Amino acid sequence: MFRTTFPVAALALSTTLLSSLPVAAETFRWAGTTDPQTMDPHAVNAAPVLSFLNNVYEGLVRRDPEMGVEPSLATSWEALPDGAGWRFTLREGVTFHDGSEFNADDVIFSYERAVSEASDVRSWFASVTEVVRVDDFTVDFVTTAPNPLFPGSIANFMILDSGWAAENGADLPARDAENHATRNANGTGPFMLAARNPGIETRLVPNENWWDTAGHNVTEAIFTPIGNPATGLAALLSGEIDFISPIPLQDAEQVEERDGFEVLAGLETRVIMLGFGHDHDSLLYSEETTGANPFHDPRVRRAVAQAIDVETIDRVIMRGAAEPASQLVPAGLSGYSDDHADRPDYDPDAARALLDEAGYGDGFSFGLMCPNDRYINDEAVCRAVASMLARIGVEANVNAMPVRGYWDELRADNFDMYLLGWSPGTFDAEHPIRFLAHTPTERLGTWNFGGYSNQRIDALLAPIQSEVDPAARQAMLDEVAGILQEDVAYVPLYTQPLIWAMQENVDVVQRPDDFFMLRWVTVN
Amino acid sequence: MLTRLMRNEGVWLFTRSPAAILAAIATLAIVAGAAFAPWIAPTNPYDLASFSLIDGLLPPAWEDGGSPRFLLGTDDQGRDMLSSILYGARLSLSIAAMAMAVALLLGVGLGLAAGYLGGRFDAIVMRIADVQLALPAILTALLIDGISRGILPREMHDDLRVTVITLAIALSLWVNFARTARASVFVERSKDYVSAAIMMGQHPLRIMLRHILPNIVGPLLVIATVDLASAILLEATLSFLGVGLPADSPSLGTLIRIGMQYLLSGEWWILWIPTVFLVVLVVAINLLGDFLRDLFNPGMR
Repeated sequence: MFRTTFPVAALALSTTLLSSLPVAAETFRWAGTTDPQTMDPHAVNAAPVLSFLNNVYEGLVRRDPEMGVEPSLATSWEALPDGAGWRFTLREGVTFHDGSEFNADDVIFSYERAVSEASDVRSWFASVTEVVRVDDFTVDFVTTAPNPLFPGSIANFMILDSGWAAENGADLPARDAENHATRNANGTGPFMLAARNPGIETRLVPNENWWDTAGHNVTEAIFTPIGNPATGLAALLSGEIDFISPIPLQDAEQVEERDGFEVLAGLETRVIMLGFGHDHDSLLYSEETTGANPFHDPRVRRAVAQAIDVETIDRVIMRGAAEPASQLVPAGLSGYSDDHADRPDYDPDAARALLDEAGYGDGFSFGLMCPNDRYINDEAVCRAVASMLARIGVEANVNAMPVRGYWDELRADNFDMYLLGWSPGTFDAEHPIRFLAHTPTERLGTWNFGGYSNQRIDALLAPIQSEVDPAARQAMLDEVAGILQEDVAYVPLYTQPLIWAMQENVDVVQRPDDFFMLRWVTVN
Repeated sequence: MLTRLMRNEGVWLFTRSPAAILAAIATLAIVAGAAFAPWIAPTNPYDLASFSLIDGLLPPAWEDGGSPRFLLGTDDQGRDMLSSILYGARLSLSIAAMAMAVALLLGVGLGLAAGYLGGRFDAIVMRIADVQLALPAILTALLIDGISRGILPREMHDDLRVTVITLAIALSLWVNFARTARASVFVERSKDYVSAAIMMGQHPLRIMLRHILPNIVGPLLVIATVDLASAILLEATLSFLGVGLPADSPSLGTLIRIGMQYLLSGEWWILWIPTVFLVVLVVAINLLGDFLRDLFNPGMR
C-alpha cells in the first residue's frame, strides 16, 4: 500500500531540478554512487576511476565480457626468450582524440609516468625493470623474472599521448593536487571527454575515428554521480537516467516487478574485509588503551573474526545477495585456495575466551574507519560489526565518511581498524598479495595501509609471479592463503554483490569487476 | 477550589477547547516519554551490545512476522524502533528546547534594549534582524554548521555537534523574539507606569526587567511555543540533510533519513513511524501555541 508513485515523484524532484535539460532520445544517461575522482589514469588506482576511464583511454590489452584478455593497442605479444619479459607489437594507424598518432613513444612515456613517484599504479610494474623501444611499433617490457600473467595484469594500464601531456604540463600524475590531466583527457578509446564537471556530471561523445568497430549506438553519454542510492533509484524510475549501479539491495525485487525496468544481479570479484593497523604502536581512538595496540596480538584479531556473524550480515544487510568470504579473493577466482575455503566459525564465546587469553578480557575501545558511499551498504556493515564486537566487550567507534577523503585518511594512518573492498584487477589471487599482503615498499604493498608484514609472504610473491607450472604456483598461493588466515592479517567478510538496474530498452554487458563499458551499450 | 480554578479564564477556555486538550495530552505524553526514555524504553539504542543484527528488519508486533519484544519493529541494525524514537525524541526535544532558550535570551535581551534605548542601537539591531529575516532559517543553520566544520578540527566538530546545531537553530530563531519584544516595549514605554518609574529615577535595566518585561510575557510565550515547533522541525531537517546528528545517536530527523532508504522496499515502519511521531509532536505543540495566542490576544477570540 505504500508503493504508490507519490513518494517517488517527490524524491525525484530534487534531481530533476538539478538537470532540467531536455533528454534527447539517443543520449545515454547513467549514474553511480561515486564520481571518478580524477580523469588521470595513473593518479588513483580505484575502480570508479579505472572503470570510467576505460571508456576514454585504452591499454595495450583489454578484457572481453568474459574477462578474457584480448588485443587492444597491442595487436599481439610474446614472451621474450628466457623469461626476460614480454614483447608487444603495437597497433598501427591509431590516433588519439586530438588527432596525434599513437606509437611506441607514447607507451614508454606512459610507463615512465605510471611508475613515477606521484603515480598510484606503480605496483602494476613491480617486476618491470625497463621498457625498451624496439621500433616505432614494438616495445619490450623487461622483467626481473618470468611473469606469465603479465599481459593480463596491465589491462588497466592506459596510454596517454606524450606530446599532449608535455604540452599541458601533465608529465606526471597529480594525486593530491590537480593538473591538466585531472580534468581533461586525450586517449585512444571509443569515447571522448566532452565536458567534465567534477561531482556534477561528465559528458562523453563517441570517437568517430576509433580503430575498432563500435558495437554501441550511443551518440552522447552523460554520467551523473548520485550519492544517495534511494535518490538514484528514483531517478531511474522517473526516467531521468537509463542505467544505475548499484541500486539499494532492498529495492531489487520491487524494481524487477515494475514494467519497463530490468535488474542485472551477480557477484562482483570484490571481497569486503576489515584491516588492522598492524604497524601502529598504539590505538588512536581509545580512551583507556593507550601506548598499546591490542591488534598486534593475533589472538585479538582472531577474536574479531570470530565475533562477526557474516551470515547474518548477509541475510539482513545484504539481503542474502552476498557470499561469505574466507580469503582476499572470492571463491572460484584463479588462484583461490580450496584448502582454505573455511571462514573462522562465528563463535562469540570463543572470541571472548581469546580476548581473555590475550589479556583483554575487559575489552577495549578503538576507532573503525569506514566509507559511507563506496561499497554497498558499507556504513551499515560497519555499524553491524561494531554492534557484534560490542557483544564481546570490544567497543568500536565507527567513523564513517565519504570516500572522497577516505583513502587520504587511510594513507595518513588515521585508523585502528578499517573497512576495505578489494577487487583483483588481474582476476588472479596474486593481485591482492602484491597490493595488500606484501610489506609496503615503493612499488609493493601500496594498499597495505596497516603495514602487515610477513617475510615468508614477501619471499613467495616473486616465485608466484614467475612460476609457469600451475600446480606449483597454486601450492604457493595456498601457502600464502594459509599464512594470511593463520595470522588473521585481514578479516575477509563477504563477496560484494553486483546489482545493476536499467530501463528495459537498454542492453549492457555486466563484467564481474563492475566495470561499466559504454562500448557494449545499446539503446533500443 | 474547583470553582476558583474554573473562574480562571485560561483554565475555563482550556476546558472548552478539545483541540487544546488533545494537544496538551499528546505533548505531555511525548515529553514524558522522552524525558523518562532511559527508564521506560525497552532497550538502550546507544548501547551497541543491547541489540543484535539477528533481529534486524522485524515488522511491528501487529504485522506478520513481528515480535512482541519489538512493539514498533526494528531497523536494519536490529534496534528497537520504539526505543530509538523515544531516545530520538529526547534528543530532538532537548536540542529544540536549548535552542529556544538561547534564542529567547538573545532575542528578548536585544529586543528590550532596542525598544527601550531606541536611536542608533535600535537601528543597528533591527537592521541585523532584517538581514537575518531575509535568510531562510535552514540556510542560516546550514551556514553555521558549514563554517564550524571548516574552522574546527573534525574530532572537535564531532564532539561539538549538538552545540553547533543548537546554536545554528537559535541564531535562526532569535529575530521573532527581538521584534516582538521591541514592538511591545514601544507600546509599554509610553504608559504611565513606565513614566512613573523613570521619574522615580530607577535604573533603565531595572525598568526593563522589572516593569516592562512582565507585561510583554504573553506574546513572547506564544512565539516561544510556536517557535519550539519550528526548532524541532529545523533540527529534524538538518539531521535529515545529514548535517545534524550522526546515525549512532539518532534524533528524529536522523531516524527519518535512515528510514528513507526503505521508502520503496516495503519496510515501511522504519520511515513512517518516526515521521508520524514527528508530525504528531509538531502539530500538538502548534495547537498549544494557537491556544495560547487566543488566550493572550482576546481580540482574536
